[in-house]
Amino acid sequence: MNAYIITRDNLRTWIDALIRDYTLVAPVREEEKVSLFKPVGSFTEIDLNYTNSTISPKGWLFPQTEEMFFFFTSDNQVNLEDACKPGTTILFGLRPCDVKGIIALDPVFNGTYQDCYYQMRRQNTILVCLCCTRVERHCFCNSMGGGPTNGEGADLLLTEMENGYGIEVLTSRGEELVNKYHQLFAVDGDNRVSKTRDEMGKKLASQFSRKVDISGIKEFLDQHFELPYWNELAQRCLGCGICTFICPTCHCFDIFDQSPDGESGVRSRCWDSCMFSHFTRMAGGHNPRPTKKERIRNRFLHKLKYHRDRYNLDGCVGCGRCINKCPVNIDIRQIIADLQEVARYDQLPLS
Amino acid sequence: MKVQENLRDIARKLLVNKEATLVIGYAPGSEVSRVIPAFIRKEEEVDHLIWNPLCVNNLAKYLLDYNQEPGKVAVVVKGCDSRAIVRLIQDNQIPREKIIILGIPCPGLLDPETVASRLNPNTQILSASLNEQAFSIQTEEGIFTFSRNESLLEKCRSCEHHTPVIADFMLGEEIPPANRVDPFEKVKKLEDLPVKDRSDYWDKQFQRCLRCYACRNVCPACTCRECVFDQAEPCWIAKANNLSENTAFHLIRAFHVAGRCVDCGECDRVCPVNIPLTLLNRKILKDIKDLFNVPTPGTNLNELPPLGSFTNSDPDEFM
Amino acid sequence: MTNCRSHNPLKPFPATIIKVIDETPDVKTFQMVFDNPEVMENFKQKPGQVAQISVFGVGEATISITSSPTRKGLLEFSVKKVGMLTSALHRLEPGCKVGIRGPYGNHFPYEKMKGKDLLFIGGGIGLAPLRALIDFVLAEENRKDYGNIEIIYGARSVDDLCFKYDILERWPQMPGTKVYTTIDRAEQGWEGHVGFVPAYLEEINPTPKNKYAITCGPPIMIKFVLQALEKMGFSDDQVITTLEMKMKCGIGKCGRCNIGSKYVCLDGPVFYLSQLKQLPPEF
Repeated sequence: MNAYIITRDNLRTWIDALIRDYTLVAPVREEEKVSLFKPVGSFTEIDLNYTNSTISPKGWLFPQTEEMFFFFTSDNQVNLEDACKPGTTILFGLRPCDVKGIIALDPVFNGTYQDCYYQMRRQNTILVCLCCTRVERHCFCNSMGGGPTNGEGADLLLTEMENGYGIEVLTSRGEELVNKYHQLFAVDGDNRVSKTRDEMGKKLASQFSRKVDISGIKEFLDQHFELPYWNELAQRCLGCGICTFICPTCHCFDIFDQSPDGESGVRSRCWDSCMFSHFTRMAGGHNPRPTKKERIRNRFLHKLKYHRDRYNLDGCVGCGRCINKCPVNIDIRQIIADLQEVARYDQLPLS
Repeated sequence: MKVQENLRDIARKLLVNKEATLVIGYAPGSEVSRVIPAFIRKEEEVDHLIWNPLCVNNLAKYLLDYNQEPGKVAVVVKGCDSRAIVRLIQDNQIPREKIIILGIPCPGLLDPETVASRLNPNTQILSASLNEQAFSIQTEEGIFTFSRNESLLEKCRSCEHHTPVIADFMLGEEIPPANRVDPFEKVKKLEDLPVKDRSDYWDKQFQRCLRCYACRNVCPACTCRECVFDQAEPCWIAKANNLSENTAFHLIRAFHVAGRCVDCGECDRVCPVNIPLTLLNRKILKDIKDLFNVPTPGTNLNELPPLGSFTNSDPDEFM
Repeated sequence: MTNCRSHNPLKPFPATIIKVIDETPDVKTFQMVFDNPEVMENFKQKPGQVAQISVFGVGEATISITSSPTRKGLLEFSVKKVGMLTSALHRLEPGCKVGIRGPYGNHFPYEKMKGKDLLFIGGGIGLAPLRALIDFVLAEENRKDYGNIEIIYGARSVDDLCFKYDILERWPQMPGTKVYTTIDRAEQGWEGHVGFVPAYLEEINPTPKNKYAITCGPPIMIKFVLQALEKMGFSDDQVITTLEMKMKCGIGKCGRCNIGSKYVCLDGPVFYLSQLKQLPPEF
């Protein structure tokens, strides 16, 4: 596929043009320590120097709260009306791990039963990935089959260069975004873009603070469901939903109705969390995952085993958000390392 | 590191003599700037326990998980955390005689982000000290100093109780109250704004709330067996995440802990989207102090909380 | 909705309650019909499958379809009043509008069961999913494919027996069918068996030869029934049960009903005991 180079000035022009023609969602510094993906009205609102956004951008394909349909009931009939559908959106400046997160979500909302809401947004969303220029201390994408310059799954891949950005076209949808404004781009004749990206990739590879070895973890978990280790983790877990809500691959949701008059209203869905006790509690009171131990085990097995079992993809992309935000330092890298130890010694050795 | 040695000595003694079956304290985390709550039951695990200026978690609430513990539970508390212990005892959440309070007079904590920005995350802290001007952290890679002024944790700047208000063992020398930043400085600034600006300010904060309930789960004043926000029927707030429901959540939460919030700052610390919850709680704390002329909740075991007791002199102009 | 290749699976089809039968003080059976006859025609459930029932304004719940697919033109759901949705459903009367989507999940292996004797063991509302299969194999067009049918059913009291007409009158009259009914404690006017289902099962002591045992009921009953069946020599591949889990989407997305990497809504609710034993004990 083709590659182009765009100057910083032209990038600005391009983005402002995209904003006119599409809904452009990009990283915005909301507060000193909060970075969020939001629709922007001009290039100046975007913060391209961000590292991982506080919340993963999955919400643009799978919103935290999504109205599914409206219902109108009367004595002799029910009418259901679809909630409005979105136009074409560009998710601009996604980091490679977040693109990988979307790739991990795709099969969940696909399959025998097509999730129309996700599919509709996904088909109407163009993914523009931005290679990382630094590695944060919680990043471990390189251990999870990704990398800070690996834009696999995106439509366009941007690499910061000395005087602008290199743009590699990965899909025909991406190509369209370039072609439409072709006068802003110079063709990259001598592979400068991919060379720059490779160099950046090599440079960043040495900056990861921790290498995580997931080899054999799934196979170990296939054989070992009950481990005292989960009790140890559960002791300090607060049972909040931070990790699941900021995670790029968590997809659990609840469905609920709102109806002020009991006759008409809206059915929506919203993110839910397997860490909440009522997530699996049945109306009669029985709860298959009654304590924090079962719940935390479920979350990590989901990341390290179940997602692979079902979709042959890792359920974790190594973005490091949960590590950064967990109030009690439950660190999936440490869990993987600890599980390796448990696998080796049949228990955690006393340090 | 005298405190840490004392802590380990006493923890060991308690476990060996079976005076306690569990000691809840701090252990090193997965990176240098973090610690984890540690649950120590065996003598040989006692040396996991640490004390350093990164021990930020309030461990008091974990006591609720050990209601059924056959023996006594010992718990490490700083000054701010100790108020939570008092509150939990006053609320009859934990029987005083079932717990052993290991108090640590705390001169103030280091902002973990500042530490993380300078230290190799994989190094270990060997010792830490603090003088008037600076924290000094010794790691395997050398000694690092952090100016107190620049790297003191925000909440510690207005610390009310360096020394725990309640303790069975005091693990260090008492630290007298020092000059502190007015805890209500930001509240007053906000109060001075026009209503519209205040409303806009909070709208912007609540808008991004994820409703992860970390602020509730970590809160030592949130002890309801079933939280109103978990109740399906009646449904006090909808599951929908929007400004209206989020605002309802935060206001109900703040009022629920009114008069019981001990100002430990944990909600503020855990919020993944940095909603300034301390500011909200302190607004109510300030109003309560203004109305009832009482100390911060949890300060005094024998003083009932103003909203949990009645006297003839209570203000009643709203009636 | 554009860009979606199939019907939106999360959107129910409007349906009407045509009849409400009081089974017990807290169980009602609802007969429902889709408002669109074409939808009714195309709704092809298999015995053991479930559906999501909507009470608009309240929400949805997963309910097993208790009528056999051989009964055309309507669907039956027996619902115990336990939570918000089921309470709302209990307030509805014939003529009221609901929504139905499905059918979801796997089904009883009725093909494999051909030529075999079938032993059904149910407790309380647990008879509801079994009833779909019982009526399926007892249907005129299928009866010849199956051997003898034994049904052991119990409830706390006479009042709590569901499907009284079926267990006391209709099924016992069917050829090659035996129904054993029991209640937990003796009651005036009850001349039948008294005792718990697992004990009754041991008393009857059915032979495992050429037989499938299909059981559903409260978890404690299932636990002891499985022990009893094992004692009688039933292999794990001869024992089938159907699970109840909290579900929301019913289509394997919402992440709630997983047992290990299996979703009960897709891979269940029907499991051989041999399969269940491979799964983590989270149900």
